[in-house]
Parts: sequence; C-alpha cells; structure tokens
Amino acid sequence: MSENIIKIEDLTKKYRRFKKKEGIKGSIASLWKREYEEKTAVNQVSLSVRQGEFIGLVGPNGAGKTTLIKMMTGIIAPSSGRIDVLGYYPNDLKNSFKKKYAIVMGQKSQLFFELTVNDTLRLFKEIYEIPEEKFLESRDYFVQLFGVADIMDVQVRTLSLGERMKMELLTALLHNPEILFLDEPTIGLDAVAAKQIRKFLKEINRQRGTTIILTSHYMEDIKALCERTVVINHGMKIFDGRTSELFEKYQKNKRISVTFHNIEDNINLQTEITGVSNENPYKKVYEVARENSKALLAEIMEFNPDDIIIEEEEIGVIVERIYQEGGICNA
Amino acid sequence: MHKYWEISKTYMKTQLVYRLDIIFNMLFTVTKILFAYLLWGMVFKNKDMAGMFTFHSMVSYYIISSFLSQLEMSSGISNEIYWRIRNGTFSKYMVIPAGIEKYFLAMEFGVVLFYILFDFIAALIWVFIFQIDFIFTNNLVVIACAVVITLLGLLFMVQLNYLLGIMGLKYQGIQTFLMVKDNLVMLVTGGIVPLALFPDAVVDILSLMPFYYITYLPAMLFTGFCQDEAVSGIFIILCWCIVLQVVINIFWKKNVKNYEGVGI
Repeated sequence: MSENIIKIEDLTKKYRRFKKKEGIKGSIASLWKREYEEKTAVNQVSLSVRQGEFIGLVGPNGAGKTTLIKMMTGIIAPSSGRIDVLGYYPNDLKNSFKKKYAIVMGQKSQLFFELTVNDTLRLFKEIYEIPEEKFLESRDYFVQLFGVADIMDVQVRTLSLGERMKMELLTALLHNPEILFLDEPTIGLDAVAAKQIRKFLKEINRQRGTTIILTSHYMEDIKALCERTVVINHGMKIFDGRTSELFEKYQKNKRISVTFHNIEDNINLQTEITGVSNENPYKKVYEVARENSKALLAEIMEFNPDDIIIEEEEIGVIVERIYQEGGICNA
Repeated sequence: MHKYWEISKTYMKTQLVYRLDIIFNMLFTVTKILFAYLLWGMVFKNKDMAGMFTFHSMVSYYIISSFLSQLEMSSGISNEIYWRIRNGTFSKYMVIPAGIEKYFLAMEFGVVLFYILFDFIAALIWVFIFQIDFIFTNNLVVIACAVVITLLGLLFMVQLNYLLGIMGLKYQGIQTFLMVKDNLVMLVTGGIVPLALFPDAVVDILSLMPFYYITYLPAMLFTGFCQDEAVSGIFIILCWCIVLQVVINIFWKKNVKNYEGVGI
C-alpha cells in the first residue's frame, strides 16, 4: 500500500461577501452601512490521497470542488482545519512545493497566446529548472503521446480548444509533477477531443504513476478515469468510495430521448419505466432503470424512430439520491 | 537567475510578434522631437536662456527625458495584478515556482529591453535627420551614475506598481491610489517641464521624493546638469527601493490570505 501524500482533516473555507439591497437607494445606503454574509464553501472535509491514485471530485455547481483544489495547491488559505500536501502546508507557497505539482484549469491558461507552444515550453523549462536532457525527453514523450508535433511552432491563439487543452497539459506535465490537479479539463470540448484527453490522462497515470485529482461535471470523465470518487455538495463530503460503487448504487436510471417521424400517441410499452414526458408531439423522454434500458430500446426500435439519445443521470440527481438514502462515507 | 532571464526574453518575444507595431512605434518617436522643437522654439524665440537652459540643451533634455519616461512602462503592472486578483486569475502566478514580484520585474525588463533597442535606434536616426546639436555630458562617472539611477528608478516604479496592484488583496478598488500616483509622477518626474524651472525650495522638497529620480535627474545628468547630485541620487533612490520592498513584503505576508481566487 503506497503512502498518503495528501492528508486533510476538517478543512473549512469560509468567505465573507458584501450584500446590498437592490436599486440606487440600496447603493447609496451601502455607502454608510455595509452588510456582509458568511458563506461556507468547504465545510469540515477530511480526505486522504495515496500516491498514484486517480480521484474524481464531483458535485454540482458551487459545491466546493474548485475551492478544495485551490486549498490543496495553496492558491487560497483555509479558514480552519489541517492540510498537508507532499509534506507542505500549501499556502506557504514554497517554490520547492510548487515544483512537485501541476494544475490545469479548463478556463485559465498558462500559455502565451501570441507565442508558440515551443516558446512557452522553453520558459517553463527554466521556471521549473529542468535539465536540458530531461526537458527534451519529456517534451518528445508528450509531443508523441498527444500527436501534436506539427503544431508546436504555430501561435497558440490559432489553436482549437482541444489542441489548446493538449498544450496546457503538455506544459503542466513537462516537469513530471507528482500530483496533477485538473479542474474541468474537458469543459467545452467536443466528444472526440474529450475522449482523447481522457486517454492521455489514463496513460499518464498508468505509465508515470502521477497522482491525478480531477474535477468534472461530466460523469463520463469520472466513469472512464477514476477508480475512486469523492462527491461534494454544499461544501461537505457526502460520498468517498469506489467509482463503480457510486454508479451502481446511485446512478440508477438512464434518460432516453426518442424523436419520431409522426405523432405517436399510442405507444404501449411492456418494459417498466420510471417516468415519461412529452417535450413536443414528436419527442418523448423516458426515464428507465439501467437494467431495463436495453429492453426499452428494443421495443422503441419497433416504432421506427428518427433519433434516439441515451444519457446518464446528471451529478445533481445522484447527489439528491445519496441524500435520500442517508448518504455514505467510506473514507 | 536563468528563469527570470527567460521570462524577460519571453516578454521581449511578445513585443516582436507584430511588425507594424514595431515600425509605428519607431516612427512615432519623431513626434516627441517635433513637439520639443515647436514648444521650446516658441519659448526661446526672443531669448537665449531659460533658467540654466539654452535652446539646444532644453531640446536635448526633453528628448532624453521623454525617452526615459517611455522606458517606464510599469503602470500596466498594477492594473494587470489588480484585475487578476479581482477575477481570480492571479492564481496563474501563484502556482509557478518563481517569485511573483521578480516575475513582474523580469517581464518589465524584457519589455524595456525591446524599447531601449528600437527606440534608441529610432531616436538616433531622428537626431541625425533633424541635425540637432545634441548636448550630452562626457563625464563617464556621471554617465555611470545616471545609468544606475535610471535602473533603480525603473525598479522603484515596478515595485510601486506591484504594491498598488497587490493592494487589490485588501481593497475593493485601487483606482484612487493609481490616480494619486499618476498625478504625482506626471508632475514630479519633470516629464512636462524641467523641475529646474521651479523655485529652489520646491525642487529641494521634490528631490527627497523618489519620482525626482525616475526621469528628471538622469535626464539632467545626461545633459550635463546637476552633476553634484549624481552620487547622493543613487543613495536616495536606493533607500526608497529598500523601504518600498520592506512595505511590499509586509503587505504581501499580511494580505495574501485574503486572496479568494474567485471569478472566471
């Protein structure tokens, strides 16, 4: 069993935010008297991460996932609790600590848009004090892995979103970090690009033993990559366990949207469904238990549909179900 | 040290991306020379001296002073830092293993290097074309002191703008601080009118302020004036840099915990 490289106990982060009544009157009144409210973004979270793990951090918008990552990287200081990442208190912002991790945020870039990726890599080689030989070895490895050899010398601003994300990853991984924090790395990417990114991440975790902590809205990311998942809601950890267990226990249904060529009023299905709604006269949306989805699809095919979309349940539904069933915490 | 030199080179490279920008930047240096000729030509129309200046020494002072003030481009730093703190993207600088202040200093150095190179070449060409009787001291010690004061002055301005930027960690807005700074700098650097034309008592007071050493004193030293202030000038601006660094360190330590990284 490998050692814990992240140890977090009762970590809490509270923000103070300014409140104002609406309108010009409220604005003038706020010049004299300011009201503030306290918001707890992360509430007494405890977490341990072993070396080489690939962990998914999921939860609805505003759940506290990104705040937790920001505390683990030292970007923000916790309000209370204990945190130890690779033997450091992150918010001390020591350079020796920063050399051991990398962070990629889907909506924040480390690249220089006017320059080429090779120019940025040269800069990061010096910033991370990577010896020339190691730099070339690392760069060549990732260039080959990502298949980006032909776009290393073009301006970053001319790259597509998917290509840019590959370059962000390449830049972040150049110094071979022990931990890679990923905040929504597939946000905005099309299905093909997202799949490619997932493949690279899997490879990096397996081949280089890099510990990866990933936040994502897309359950597909979590399912495909993470052995362990931590679910956070309202700043609290409500699930920490095997990803397969999370989906088996709490992702019970599939959502199947079917579009028909004609108005279909009389569809009598034998398969048991949990819900149905009509988005328009030509489209029906079925909620069905996962184990029944195959049978339902077979039945629907008999009505010669125009289009079928099968979706997994969103994280919000899963969170709701965890609450309904009392919530579990395996940590 | 290598990492900061690479940062400077990277920002110099960003200045070299667009060719038209470079050409226009070089062409526009002529406007300063033209302006100096027109303005001081009017003033000196009916007299040979204004204060201690002749027409040519005044034009020389003006060209050097505007060249030096053009090198001082650190004002963008405060807004860059402030807005990144406000929108949460300041994290970009917090996660890389490089001193944030040193990063900005290196960044500024890279940009300044670009301007030194291209504007200096352009200024030399214009001085030659306009046949300006350029007044420049031949005292090597004074030139060396002026160079040191110029560099320390640029350092001070980077420090000041860095401090104003990180004030965003404590204050919701820094525009008032920036406005006060801009007005002070405009007046006290002698960028509009040489301070030597002010009453002695005013100049004595201003000479204790750091802004006196940003462009005014180096420009005066290069044109052969105020040579007795060369050494004391280094000492005074150095003291200001040290004091400001202490203030920056204390402010950063006390307020970095306020950073929320909230925004985009």
